[in-house]
Amino acid sequence: MTIISVLPLLLYAAATAAYWAHFATHDKRTGRTATALLGAAVLAHTFLIGMQTVQGGYAPLVGTTAAVSAFVWLLGLAYLYVELTTDERAMGAFVGVLLSLLMILPALNPQTEARPPLLRSPLFTIHVMSMLFAYASFALAFVLGITYVLLFKEIKAKHLGFFYTRLPSLQVLDKMNGRAVVVGWLFLTCGLLVGGIWATQLGGSADPRAQAMGLADPKILFALVSWGTYSFALFARRAIGWSGRRAAWLSAIAFVIVLLNFVPIGYFLTRSHNF
Amino acid sequence: MRLFAVGISHRTAPVELRECVDFTRRGLESALSALAERKVTREAVVLSTCNRAEIYASAESEAAADSCSRFISEFNEVSWDEVAPHVIVYRGPQAADHLFRVAAGLDSLVVGEPQILGQVKDAYAMANGLKSTGALTNRLFTSAFSVGKRVRSETGLGEGAVSVSFAAIALAKKIFGAFTNLNVLILGAGEMAKLTGVHLKAQAVNQLTIASRTFETADAMAHDLGGVAVAWSAVGEALANADIVVTATGARDPVLTRGRVEDAMRRRRGRPLFIIDIAVPRDVEPEVGSLDQVFLYNIDDLQSIVKENLTRRSSEVERAESIVREEVTRFTTWMQSREVLPTVIALRERFEAIRVAELKRLEPKMSSLTPEARARVDEITHLLVEKLLLSPTEQLKSTGDESLAVTYADALNRLFGLTAASRREPEPGE
Repeated sequence: MTIISVLPLLLYAAATAAYWAHFATHDKRTGRTATALLGAAVLAHTFLIGMQTVQGGYAPLVGTTAAVSAFVWLLGLAYLYVELTTDERAMGAFVGVLLSLLMILPALNPQTEARPPLLRSPLFTIHVMSMLFAYASFALAFVLGITYVLLFKEIKAKHLGFFYTRLPSLQVLDKMNGRAVVVGWLFLTCGLLVGGIWATQLGGSADPRAQAMGLADPKILFALVSWGTYSFALFARRAIGWSGRRAAWLSAIAFVIVLLNFVPIGYFLTRSHNF
Repeated sequence: MRLFAVGISHRTAPVELRECVDFTRRGLESALSALAERKVTREAVVLSTCNRAEIYASAESEAAADSCSRFISEFNEVSWDEVAPHVIVYRGPQAADHLFRVAAGLDSLVVGEPQILGQVKDAYAMANGLKSTGALTNRLFTSAFSVGKRVRSETGLGEGAVSVSFAAIALAKKIFGAFTNLNVLILGAGEMAKLTGVHLKAQAVNQLTIASRTFETADAMAHDLGGVAVAWSAVGEALANADIVVTATGARDPVLTRGRVEDAMRRRRGRPLFIIDIAVPRDVEPEVGSLDQVFLYNIDDLQSIVKENLTRRSSEVERAESIVREEVTRFTTWMQSREVLPTVIALRERFEAIRVAELKRLEPKMSSLTPEARARVDEITHLLVEKLLLSPTEQLKSTGDESLAVTYADALNRLFGLTAASRREPEPGE
């Protein structure tokens, strides 16, 4: 474990602590510190990924650990983008926790894995990057949904307190949630399509993993289930007016499916995606 | 130069007197120029709001404060006997302390209200425009502005609505974000309904709809507020289109039943509905509050929010006070160093003049010395003067007590005959 591979985790954790301090105290300087720390974390993480790319000669996307690392990096970037465009820092506390927890995996296991011949295709990179972009968007939607529910409960119960003074309005949270789901769904659809095309090209490969590409594999099955859930969320919002609390819950549940698929299934159950 | 503040405020004078003592009635300009004509103050700023009428000024004489107090009564044509018991005079650091508390909102009727800082700024800008400010008031008011700013950003003194209408508006903002696309429905056309309508109208809502059992009263109110009136029978339709509903009818039985709201919600496709029930007895069945996407608040709920906010504000007072104390100390230190600075300079000039004069007097006796030896004499005398002055200069500058610093400066002025020099006014920023 070298300092370069642990530094991003430390910075993410420090940024999270600062975001929580900002959340609790409402102090502007703490907020700016939190943003700066997160920026530094993403920068250090960029350096780490860049270094691995140079060393290996290919983007470090092989294996769940590397994918988790790339996902954290993308989510950090996406969150920073949202924060800078909306000037809204309250969500950082929640996103930070997700970033820090997931970053533990790559920090514990910093070695990049060798790229098997199976993955030497540009379609592989597009597939993985699209999926990770989608997951990052869904993670933001998840955090927005959870904060929506927390604020909703406070206003409904007439106990205006902690979240009431710190979060943006329900309407804003709902709108941002809706947008994040749309962006995520687009990338997920693209990722699945590219993945499907690529899998058909592998038809002749003798690799057992290529043989396992099919609906029976839990990773592929769950990816389709999450696609179905998000498609329903989009449909429900537009056609039957499921916005607000229902949309928030739906995006939270759907992200739990995504996360289950991403980490435990990715590590232990899949036979097609165990690179 | 002495800094002082005189005036009356809601803490010292009843409203009847405050109504009579109002510098804005005849214009702040005329008040400032009338004060300048008296030639008792060097600098003056007049602050006049509905809760206070105060003069912040600097002058040479101790009696200027009394003269300004009298000015308050004379300018406003109120007898001195009426005003005198209510006037408060603050001198030196106390004046700064008072102004800083005012700017922070600590001295306001509703603690932490935000308007006062703007009013202080306007008062200063007016005086500055008429050239009635100077080094002392400039520094005093700039410090006051930064106190106001710091209290606002570093404490929660101004946070949370402290009136029922603003609590309702703040809630609506938390639910809907912006008001521009919102439709408001008001049920009832009484005083309370109208007052709330005025507040909501000020938020630039999209549409204001008013319904009342008698269409004419609703129509009249709609006319006053710039809204539309609808017939009582069309309330169901209006309910489906509204985002915020205010109920303030005098009805004995609930006007909005669960069934009625449920019906409207079905047509709203999940858009949230915020119902504010300010009627007593209540206009809305309590069960309505349990419907999904419906937020129901009655007058008691809003009042308890206000109460909580007031408690929270009062818990922030101590933090605001400590910012005020900090800034008062800083200002006082500046004021003192400014008092003694001319004396320090004059004292040094005096010693240097003596040294140079003595060297000149001894010139014939030193003509036999080598240039090196003469330079040495020059150096020794210079060091002597420096060493003699070191301790008194430091003592003078570091005195914490203002009156003691003035006494020291006075004594030095007299002992060394420095009076002429010490009158020199330091420039702003010196």
